[in-house]
Amino acid sequence: MTITDSATESASDVVAGKGARWVVVGSSTQAEAELAVREALAPIVKRADPKLTIIFCSPAHNLAEISRLVRATVGSGEVIGCSTAGELLRNHPTTGGLLIWALGGDGFAVTTGVGLGDPATGLRDAAQTAAQCLRQLERKEHTLLFLLADGLCGDQMEVVRGAYDVSGAGVPLVGGCAGDDMALQGTQQIHSGELLTHAVVAAAITSNAPMAIGIAHGWEPLSEAMLVTGSRGTTLESLDDRPALDVYLDTYEAPDEVRNDPAAFFDFAHTRPVGIARRNRTEIRYVYGADYELRTLMIFAEVPQGAMAYLMQGNATSVLNATTDVCALAEQALGGQPARGFMLLECVARKTLLSNAGLLDESLKLPSVASEAAVGGFYTYGEIARTEGSGGLHNQTVVALALA
Amino acid sequence: MSSAPWSLHVLSEVLAAFTVRSPTALRDVMSRVAEAVDAEITAIMDGAQSDFQHCVGLEDHQKFLLAAAVEERLPVLSLAGVPLHLYWAPLDGGAVMVVGRFREAYSLEERALLRAMGRSIQLSTQMLAALKAEQEAKDLAIREATIDALTGLPNRRYLLAHLGAGLDPSSGGRLQIGLLFIDFDRFKHINDVYGHSVGDAYLQAVGVALGQFHDADTFVARLAGDEFIVVVASANIGILTDLADRILQCLKQPVKIRGRLLHYSASIGVALAEPGDRPQDLLDKADMAMYSVKQLLPGGYACFEPNMLDQARRKAVLESEIRSALLQDEVIAFFQPIISSLHGGVVGFEALARWLHPRRGLLTPKDFIEVAEDAGLLRDLDARILRDACCSFSGWQSVQKGFNPRLSINISAATLQDPTLIERVKESLVSSGLKARNLLLEVTESSLVKNVERAQHNILSLKKMGVKLAVDDFGTGYSSLRYLRQFPVSMLKIDRSFVSGLGQSYDDKVIVETILRMAASLGIQVVAEGVETEEQRAILSRMGCEFLQGYLLGHPLDSPMSDQFLARSERRRNWLRQPIV
Repeated sequence: MTITDSATESASDVVAGKGARWVVVGSSTQAEAELAVREALAPIVKRADPKLTIIFCSPAHNLAEISRLVRATVGSGEVIGCSTAGELLRNHPTTGGLLIWALGGDGFAVTTGVGLGDPATGLRDAAQTAAQCLRQLERKEHTLLFLLADGLCGDQMEVVRGAYDVSGAGVPLVGGCAGDDMALQGTQQIHSGELLTHAVVAAAITSNAPMAIGIAHGWEPLSEAMLVTGSRGTTLESLDDRPALDVYLDTYEAPDEVRNDPAAFFDFAHTRPVGIARRNRTEIRYVYGADYELRTLMIFAEVPQGAMAYLMQGNATSVLNATTDVCALAEQALGGQPARGFMLLECVARKTLLSNAGLLDESLKLPSVASEAAVGGFYTYGEIARTEGSGGLHNQTVVALALA
Repeated sequence: MSSAPWSLHVLSEVLAAFTVRSPTALRDVMSRVAEAVDAEITAIMDGAQSDFQHCVGLEDHQKFLLAAAVEERLPVLSLAGVPLHLYWAPLDGGAVMVVGRFREAYSLEERALLRAMGRSIQLSTQMLAALKAEQEAKDLAIREATIDALTGLPNRRYLLAHLGAGLDPSSGGRLQIGLLFIDFDRFKHINDVYGHSVGDAYLQAVGVALGQFHDADTFVARLAGDEFIVVVASANIGILTDLADRILQCLKQPVKIRGRLLHYSASIGVALAEPGDRPQDLLDKADMAMYSVKQLLPGGYACFEPNMLDQARRKAVLESEIRSALLQDEVIAFFQPIISSLHGGVVGFEALARWLHPRRGLLTPKDFIEVAEDAGLLRDLDARILRDACCSFSGWQSVQKGFNPRLSINISAATLQDPTLIERVKESLVSSGLKARNLLLEVTESSLVKNVERAQHNILSLKKMGVKLAVDDFGTGYSSLRYLRQFPVSMLKIDRSFVSGLGQSYDDKVIVETILRMAASLGIQVVAEGVETEEQRAILSRMGCEFLQGYLLGHPLDSPMSDQFLARSERRRNWLRQPIV
């Protein structure tokens, strides 16, 4: 089956004319790599050479082969990508598929970079290296740094810190952490046709039109604010001087099997994140495991010691609203210009919650988004969106990047 | 549900930011401070120069704007048209920590809180600086303990740790570890001839050359002296020998040190780790292979073979036995007579080392001299023979009856340079009662010529004492004969290789005749060694060679039998002297 955003394709020509900015998304659920690439690239190859092609691909595919085929087809533009925990199209989330998101036209310019880290030292230096591509970019009026990082290599917050070391406050950061269809074994990143692990790939995108970021999650505090009294890396040790796991289980009144069975805990925690209090928002952290012996929680990204934290709750409706609202939030920030395309970066845990409630397709109807705008993205293990402050790593959140 | 005050967030999180465990992680601290106060920019600036120790959130071209704002104590700075609200925490020495937040000014509560935290931040910064200094001192100590100061390469300790990790299967170690043991040929010559500073400079140049081979799989270290080690992580014999070839080619290139072009080569032993090998096992194997190269083909490489291990073990056992034999007086002097070609009587004896091995019986030097030399035992061996030969010789009844033969004793190059040689000779002469003029010390041409400067003092002292010097194996060593004028040489001993050719080789005949004529003109006596046939004796007699030595004239004998041999020789000589009635 081919899912091609043909409406977007035609609209671009009409609205912008040849040589103007365009965003196109294509996808495929074909199992065979060559067929999948041909289908997913079909709307893209009709355009002039894309400036940036981003591959979001299920680990069920041979990513090396996919990446080689895409690289060979799209010409001289930049190619990056990563493995996913599912792919996002308007109305059509997929698992095991391939989605290709591309932009082009004279109004855009792109440079890319890559940095390699390792689980022992994390990804800060890798992100710093990848972000150096900003220095090679001849900037137009609006610039941002798009990041794809290994989602299972150390503290995800380090990716934001490393990129911010280079970008500074003037350049927004947006992106996501690669997934592996919830196997939690290892993720892959793509840069210039090369397949990598423990890597950060970056694309510095500059445009003569606005680009804006929307962030939403729909979670609300369930608990009172608690002081993070013990935290080391991605292990949350204690809250208000009590073992973090005990606080967590008691607050959520977890059933017995969750208190003893790691698999049951994993499913349970999927929809019960931790929130970190920030000045005017709450950042969400994804709890993906527990150490029953040490009574600690395992989190995808650091919960800073000394911070105020909450245990969060949500329901299908609040999470659904966040997804449908986020594109509108992003588009509002475009200053009245219409969005040509959206990149959606949504936490895989939200997918589970919405799917369990039978609202997954509903969540992607995106009524606020014009029908001619291209929409595509992937289900992530962590979302990156820094527009203010110097933090910007989120979990169980949906982030939308809108491009005018 | 209650919400904690924002200022409380800032207080607890910023203070916690300074409890990071790594003292070198200043950037982590600053990132956490920025995140805690929801600020975009944090910086630490030195006061006077407005230099940035650290800065997060600004691009390079924006930093000067912040520096100017700090200097003027501006509360707000406009960056790209957006107001950046600034807060300062003064630190020691005029330094300042700056926290900047876009758009939203700090509230009175926040400012009061940040101000109150200034001292804590300062203390934390000082603590971090102290911890950082301590960590740097530790790093330096570790570096000094693991890095060779001369070459900058990893040292023996680091090497052993690296090998240990590589060979340990429990730590994910790989068994395909290979090792090259590099040892320079005649490196001592550089130190001896040009001095140790040139030797050190040469080793530094070698360190740079070998450092070029370092990569993710290849680890280069200096083991000791002129010994270097290359460890290859994913090795097979092909990879190792190819690398050995490339290294040999590299090391053969001349090195210019202080205006001199030095040409030296190295020998390489190659070994591949086997399961269960410990670091020292692998080093030993490669060392054995290197040793075999040195013996057979210096300047090349050889791969370790299991029989080398047996040889090495046998050598180690033999070395231990030699040490024991010297202590147990199992090494004694035998004596081979030197005969006058004129009258057939004994004119002297050459003392020769023999080892009365408790299991293997009587051993000659060829069975143990090489191992003794490698073990540095030649001086002890020489001293032992000197003492034993002098004592035995002077105790012979025939000598005491007035026979007056000379005693020749071989000494090695090491002994010739030994500062204690003169004392040892004096002691032997005094304790035995042997007259100095009856003692000849035999040295080879090479040991005499190679160690001219160091041996000169001993040679002149021996001459003053009246002890004579003989040159052993004459004709096989150096072409230059200048040393015959330079040193007080009393006797030349023609090498047995020339004597054995007499009657068969015209060349040998010419060489022997030439030596005899030259010695006669210099007033030096000559002994022909290795005389084993009547024909050789007759030819040498006709040529005028005065003294002969060899199996034809007498085998080496122990002390009592030599005493008897001398007595018989003297009786026969006296009988011959009697007038025929």
